[in-house]
Amino acid sequence: MSDFRIRTEHITKDYPGTRALEDINVSFDSGRVHALVGKNGSGKSTLVKILAGAVKPTLGEFYLNDEKLHFNSTSEAYARGIITVYQEMSLVPGLSVAENIFLGRLPIKNKVIDWRKAYQMTSLLLQQMKVNINPREEVGRLSMWQWQVVEITKALSFNPKVIMLDEPTSALAQNEVQNLFEAVRALRDQGVIVIYITHKLQELPKIADTVTVLRDGRMVGNVQMSEVEHKDIINMMFGEVRIQSRPKDIKAQDEAIMEVRGLSREGWYQEVNFKLKRGEVLGIAGMLGSGRTELVRGIFGADPVDQGEVVIEGKTYKSANPIKMVLAGVGLTPEDRKSQGLILIHSIRDNLCYASMNITAKGWLENKRKRSAFAEKQVKELGIRLHSLDALCESLSGGNQQKVVVGNWLNTSPKIMLYDEPTRGIDVNAKQQIFEIMWAEARKGVSTVFISTELEELLEVCHRILIMRHGRIVAEVNPDTLNTNELYELCMRGDE
Amino acid sequence: MTTITAGRLTFNRRRVAIFFLDHVIEIFLIILIVALTFGAKGFLTWANWMNIFRANSLRGIIAFGMTMVIIAKLIDLSIGSTVGLAGVVVALACRDLTAAGMNLNIACIIGIIVCFLGAIAIGWFHGFFQHKTGMPAFIVTLASLYALQGLAGRLSGGFPIANQFPAWFNQLGGGRVGGQNGVPIPAVVLIICFLILWFIMDYTTTGRASYAVGGNPESARLSGINVGKTKIIAFIIIQIMAVISGFMLSGQVMSGTFTFGKGWELDVIAAVVVGGTSFDGGVGKVWGTLIGVIFMGVISNGMTLLNFDPYTQNIVKAVIMFLAVLLSSYRAKLKA
Repeated sequence: MSDFRIRTEHITKDYPGTRALEDINVSFDSGRVHALVGKNGSGKSTLVKILAGAVKPTLGEFYLNDEKLHFNSTSEAYARGIITVYQEMSLVPGLSVAENIFLGRLPIKNKVIDWRKAYQMTSLLLQQMKVNINPREEVGRLSMWQWQVVEITKALSFNPKVIMLDEPTSALAQNEVQNLFEAVRALRDQGVIVIYITHKLQELPKIADTVTVLRDGRMVGNVQMSEVEHKDIINMMFGEVRIQSRPKDIKAQDEAIMEVRGLSREGWYQEVNFKLKRGEVLGIAGMLGSGRTELVRGIFGADPVDQGEVVIEGKTYKSANPIKMVLAGVGLTPEDRKSQGLILIHSIRDNLCYASMNITAKGWLENKRKRSAFAEKQVKELGIRLHSLDALCESLSGGNQQKVVVGNWLNTSPKIMLYDEPTRGIDVNAKQQIFEIMWAEARKGVSTVFISTELEELLEVCHRILIMRHGRIVAEVNPDTLNTNELYELCMRGDE
Repeated sequence: MTTITAGRLTFNRRRVAIFFLDHVIEIFLIILIVALTFGAKGFLTWANWMNIFRANSLRGIIAFGMTMVIIAKLIDLSIGSTVGLAGVVVALACRDLTAAGMNLNIACIIGIIVCFLGAIAIGWFHGFFQHKTGMPAFIVTLASLYALQGLAGRLSGGFPIANQFPAWFNQLGGGRVGGQNGVPIPAVVLIICFLILWFIMDYTTTGRASYAVGGNPESARLSGINVGKTKIIAFIIIQIMAVISGFMLSGQVMSGTFTFGKGWELDVIAAVVVGGTSFDGGVGKVWGTLIGVIFMGVISNGMTLLNFDPYTQNIVKAVIMFLAVLLSSYRAKLKA
């Protein structure tokens, strides 16, 4: 086993209007697990893409040992043994473990597939990973962590020098994470450089040897894991956050417009109770998998609930559905705008008017003029930038698409808006505009439920924040009395 | 300076290309008509054109319903069997109810009403079960294709039920508006159905909901659109059109025959696809289907006039359908 080192020198990456990475100098050694952490937009995925050959740096270079690397494509990086295992699963569920690992390159003997050898080779690799998985098992029958391990084993089969793991535990349950960690350690002991990208800080002491922290495109820390504490890393990640305050004139009224009583869905959330006041902006904070998305989908009736009820303006809803909720004056901007919020192949005009279809129409007759007026109103009020209302929704940028999703709902003149991760994947300016929309609506008396992984956003925007952990609401906090790090601690507590 | 000019040029060229691709089937049709006018004797005559309409209207009517169904990202393979079953049911009503002493006209009307109710029931069944179970519409309606054909065969005992209809029922399929050289009634019905479907798709909430459901069912559902109801309505409309088509076909030949309409589903789908409706759902125009129906009819007619054998005709149709879909997928890419 020989030693490798991958090293970057002054890596900088500019995108139009923003600098994603600035002067990154870092080195990763073989036989160790290097954690790469940072919040969304910190530049960690850009750095990964550069090493993987998907993106070229604007300035600077990187080396494997002393050899300068220069990739024109991901396949060139692959050929040099730099392999990325992404969150999105690339395995074929209907094929066996062996077939998946050697997809497209199964061993051939006498012009037919040599299954015996394929299974042998697979067993050998799985042994190296120290896991007990049957090479003949159909991948679709494996549990999530085993699936993830097969994905990593597939990478290992290419004899890599560097394996980058992109948030490998994001889809795993707590007990599965342990199993995956053992596999990652086995991988490290093969003498591979393991770069482990995560935002779950509680994992770091268990798996990482070193930790590199990025913030706003700069490297703010590169330390041995043994030398730092949890709160040091949090401080490095978030730094001195400048929190813009919510305008003072937006006050929640005392009267509750919606009450959620004992709402439960087996396996997702249990016994959720809270009240939403008129004109209030209520945040729900929680990690991925805490049940927050499922909760708002349950309130909106997008998914069935097992128990409990939602009371809106005195009317009780036991089994809601989106049709009833639209009539009740509730709107939901879903987590994934592309697959749940928009019809990308339809025009911007149409997308702005689907939820309000029965408002713009006279009975069952369309009123095209009224529909256009509704669409134009939202374009103007939300500042959606477009060439033409007839352009397809897929031609818009992420931020503008999100505004279309919001506009679709504002056209229904809602009383309650549920926003599920509205700021995901959109730039800072667009984020600020989304907040301003929330505030403007709150001034009109609209109540808002706002879910975000970005805790500082919640502090900035909300009157009140509920903390959700493992499907339960465990605390309620006042955003004026705590900072991001404290909020983060609250969301993570009990996860160790 | 040069780059700006070049940019503007390519931009214009792209717009021209999109315009061309948007109207490719209309342009093809015009070229075809001009070519056949000069190349095929007797093509551009009133009688020949009425002939084209007479031969293609019965399937064309169903094509409008199929347009709505495909736009909603569904499919209905059972329509051919519905066509045959409708003729059989009306013929049986005429034969057996008169045998029991009923007036022939009333018996026939009862048969017609039963067919319409049946169409609603079948359409509802397709929509309800497809939506509730998530089974592919292809499978649900394929089952109906066999079941309805089997039912028609059993009811008729496997034989044509000939010469039972009243005279006016024959007029429905064989008559003309305006005397001997007038417009065939099926062509009139074709135009009426076109107008109705065009109105539904462009001017009603159900039409817009169909586009939304086909474009992205999940987004449509989360926008409060009643997805199940939309699917049921689309399936009922196409079944009603198949029943109407079945009346006219059996009236034309004065016989209820269970094999009538066999294989029509594919002709109908071909006309819809040539007319530019996307198989991926959410995109399409009833107008395009009208052009598609006429286009397929003109090709058959022109090739027959030019003495092409039916086998060659099939090959030519295949090539044209292939090209039409190729060009529309290219259009989608260019627009994106």
